[in-house]
Amino acid sequence: MIDRRVFKDFDLGFLMVVVILSLIGVMTIYSATRPLLDAGQHSFYLKQFNWIILGLACFFIMLIFDYRWFVRFAYPLYIFGIMLLVIVLVAGRTGMGAQRWLNLGFLSFQPSEFFKICFVVTLARYLSGLDQNVKLGLNQLSKIVAGFFILPAILILKQPDLGTMLILMFIFTAMILTVGIEKKILITAIIIGLIAAPLAGKFLWGGLKDYQKNRIVAFIDPQADPQGIGYHIIQSKVSIGSGGFFGKGYMKGTQGPYRFLPENHTDFIFSIFAEEWGFIGSIVLFIVYLFIIWRGFETAKNSRDVEGTYLALGVTYMFSFYFIVNIGMTLGLMPVVGIPLPLMSYGGTALLSNLLALSMIENVRMRRFASYY
Amino acid sequence: MLKRKRQKIDDRKLWDEDLKNIPLENSRKRAVVIITIITFGFVVILFRLINLMIFDHEKLSGRASQQYIREKTLTPQRGVIWDRNMKEMATNIETDSLYAVPSNIRDAGKLSTKIAPIIKVSAGEINRLLVKKKERSFTWLSRRMDMDTSEKLNVLREPIKEGEIGFVTEPKRYYPKGQTASHILGFANIDDKGIAGLELVYNDYLKGEVKSVSVGMDARGKSLVSDVKEAAPGNNILLTVDEGLQYIVERELTNAMEEREAKAAVAIMMNPMTGEILALANRPTYDPNFPAEAGGEEKRNRAITDLYEPGSTMKSILASAAIEEKAVSLDNMFDVSKGSITVGGKTIHDAHRHGVLNFQEVIKKSSNVGAVKIGMRLGATKYYEYMKRFGFGEKTGIDFPGEARGILRNVKNWSGTSLAAMSIGQEIGMTPLQMLRAYSAIANGGVLMKPYIVSEIISPDGKAIKRNSPTEERRVISRTTAATLRDILKTVVEEGGTAQRANVKGNLVAGKTGTAQIFDPKTGQYSRNRFVSSFVGFAPADNPKVALIVVIYEPVGETYGGLVAAPVFKNIIEHTFAYLDVPMEKDENKIYLVSRAR
Repeated sequence: MIDRRVFKDFDLGFLMVVVILSLIGVMTIYSATRPLLDAGQHSFYLKQFNWIILGLACFFIMLIFDYRWFVRFAYPLYIFGIMLLVIVLVAGRTGMGAQRWLNLGFLSFQPSEFFKICFVVTLARYLSGLDQNVKLGLNQLSKIVAGFFILPAILILKQPDLGTMLILMFIFTAMILTVGIEKKILITAIIIGLIAAPLAGKFLWGGLKDYQKNRIVAFIDPQADPQGIGYHIIQSKVSIGSGGFFGKGYMKGTQGPYRFLPENHTDFIFSIFAEEWGFIGSIVLFIVYLFIIWRGFETAKNSRDVEGTYLALGVTYMFSFYFIVNIGMTLGLMPVVGIPLPLMSYGGTALLSNLLALSMIENVRMRRFASYY
Repeated sequence: MLKRKRQKIDDRKLWDEDLKNIPLENSRKRAVVIITIITFGFVVILFRLINLMIFDHEKLSGRASQQYIREKTLTPQRGVIWDRNMKEMATNIETDSLYAVPSNIRDAGKLSTKIAPIIKVSAGEINRLLVKKKERSFTWLSRRMDMDTSEKLNVLREPIKEGEIGFVTEPKRYYPKGQTASHILGFANIDDKGIAGLELVYNDYLKGEVKSVSVGMDARGKSLVSDVKEAAPGNNILLTVDEGLQYIVERELTNAMEEREAKAAVAIMMNPMTGEILALANRPTYDPNFPAEAGGEEKRNRAITDLYEPGSTMKSILASAAIEEKAVSLDNMFDVSKGSITVGGKTIHDAHRHGVLNFQEVIKKSSNVGAVKIGMRLGATKYYEYMKRFGFGEKTGIDFPGEARGILRNVKNWSGTSLAAMSIGQEIGMTPLQMLRAYSAIANGGVLMKPYIVSEIISPDGKAIKRNSPTEERRVISRTTAATLRDILKTVVEEGGTAQRANVKGNLVAGKTGTAQIFDPKTGQYSRNRFVSSFVGFAPADNPKVALIVVIYEPVGETYGGLVAAPVFKNIIEHTFAYLDVPMEKDENKIYLVSRAR
């Protein structure tokens, strides 16, 4: 199953960048939580480091298997993922107003994080099986939406995890658009979307939880209640802006460690990073993320087969959306939806899932040349 | 072999066909659309980043430091006030002060109603304060609370945990002896600023240096720097006052107030040789730990600020002047058998009928008629001169706030009755301290001393910054005159004198009674039933250790100084001598009192 030639094509640079990014994350978590360390409390950075080790182990184990095996078992994986989503709704642990965690005794993890990968693999499997020269018609489209999207979207919204649902929607839309849909459907969809958006918005607004509504109000007008719901966004902007061009220096940031910015080591890790490393550091960080994304698309382009293309595309889309939504959130460009920054934010399941996803790209990449038997 | 074959089948199933042949061009083209969207996202983010980190940097940076850098005022420890034996009269205790972090408070109304009953401020008031300072990160709610209150507040776990409220330890002025020496010490307010007494006069020495430091604080108001320097504490003050004597004086004064149902009372004890104030007390009094609970009457330091007409105690001054000026000789006889004398249309009566008295007996029996006759022999100008030399009508210069100068009209403005009135201690106003100082001059051999109450100001590291020593103002009378007068004053407490009740075993006391009617400015006449009874003197008579004045204002029932003030004087002296281990010199059995009065 393992061909030595396959490892000859292993992209070490890609892996190194991924590892470095994860370590930057650990470093930033350390800085963000240092007063807690002084107080002898949780060592978040150590936990995160352990997760990196575990994640990298999985990264390599996954590489042993040809990605086509995953694609082949996509549907069972998908059903398994859906089952986990159902279980979490029934027996999950509630935290911060949402039921997202499954407690396995030794660790608790978020099934929705795991499901993202199943979702991407499943879409890759299905879309690669289609005639690539034919654009999707209405029939086909409704079949895909009903078959792959509706159920997980409802289950995840039910938790509720608005952020993950939105990311799934983005991935789904992007994948469909990549396969191509008939022009008239596209135009109709846009028109209907424009008309229905306010209505749907109104309908959705009623269905949102209070904290979700607050986040949206805060996004539209953070100054409406600076100490209340807008606090997060303002504090994040203060944090980033106070970094300036060169930053305050590592371990010199104040806004996060001193608890002005809540959730600083999870969703708002970038604010901490930007405060300490400044504009320069942020640009470097963006370049590193861009490198991973570029490698993802390049892999999709040079993939040996359609499965590989769609798999790499799906993972790269996912990664890019996470990045853009998270950074947009910290910069006050988007509502606070609770999306972590891939690889850097504190959180074991998310890190593991991201490493597994990126392992797919490496997998497709190192097997990009057709094997000769 | 079999395994390999099976794998081959599997492989074929998976990638049998050469998928590279499947045209993906269209998909790739469309992927470019998504990539473009992602790129667009990156560009937007980049612009926003430039905007925040470069253009808005200054504004946001200011906001950040405004958030975490707080001016913190370090409250210094106020200097300690010690009595002459280094016993603490005023010190500091650690108390909790409650503050709120309005910007952290989520429900001001709820919090206010929780706190209000504990700190005894209305919930509405707290709520208004919290709402008004909503943007701020610090405001005091209640400062320097007692233990009970802070313990009750400590139960409110949640707002403390959430950083909505918190405590700061602040020193609070504390007077361990309660009411004792309240008028000497005065008190400091909630901001540790001296408001009355020595706390006011020496506030600049006592207050220490308030230090303002910038400290990083987290969102919950916790200081991030642990090694914040202490504020410089204030200087300490060493008093001339002896706490034991002060206690004796206060206790006897309280007893007298109760017994006589008097309106007020004053007692001052002084070392006649040096001018050191050993004790000073007023009634009514107050507890400086709770100054807000006392009114103006209680806080008044009558010993220094209030004038009274001395009455017969003035006769000693008159006698001193007459002897010094040789206006009379000791064997001069004065016929007072008429019981009254009329001068300038004013008739002055004696309290009791006497026959013919010699000079000494005029003082001993406190004959008004005799005193007027002595005064007329001395003459107005001389008498005025001596009163001035004895320090009447001028401030003693003691380090207390609000000292009264006294009223002594210039001799040029005297009326026809003035000399007679002044001979018996009317038409003249003075503080009890002025009178005590004059008697101290008689006691010490004729030198007027400047009274003082602070002997040293000592810096926190133990160095003396300022030292007061006995100051002679001037010689008033000669040694012999003083000695003569001491002998005369001894007879006052002997049999036939006006103040037998002041007699201490062993005839140690020299002094003079005074009973003055209170002049009513409304009617322009002396009241018939309102008196100031006093006794002023020193002991032991031949080698005075203490000079003491006791003034009882408006006693009910008995009014004569010899009956009202003299017993108080006696009690104080007896206990004082016991406390100081002064031997009862003339006592035949030479009994030394060794037990110290508490």
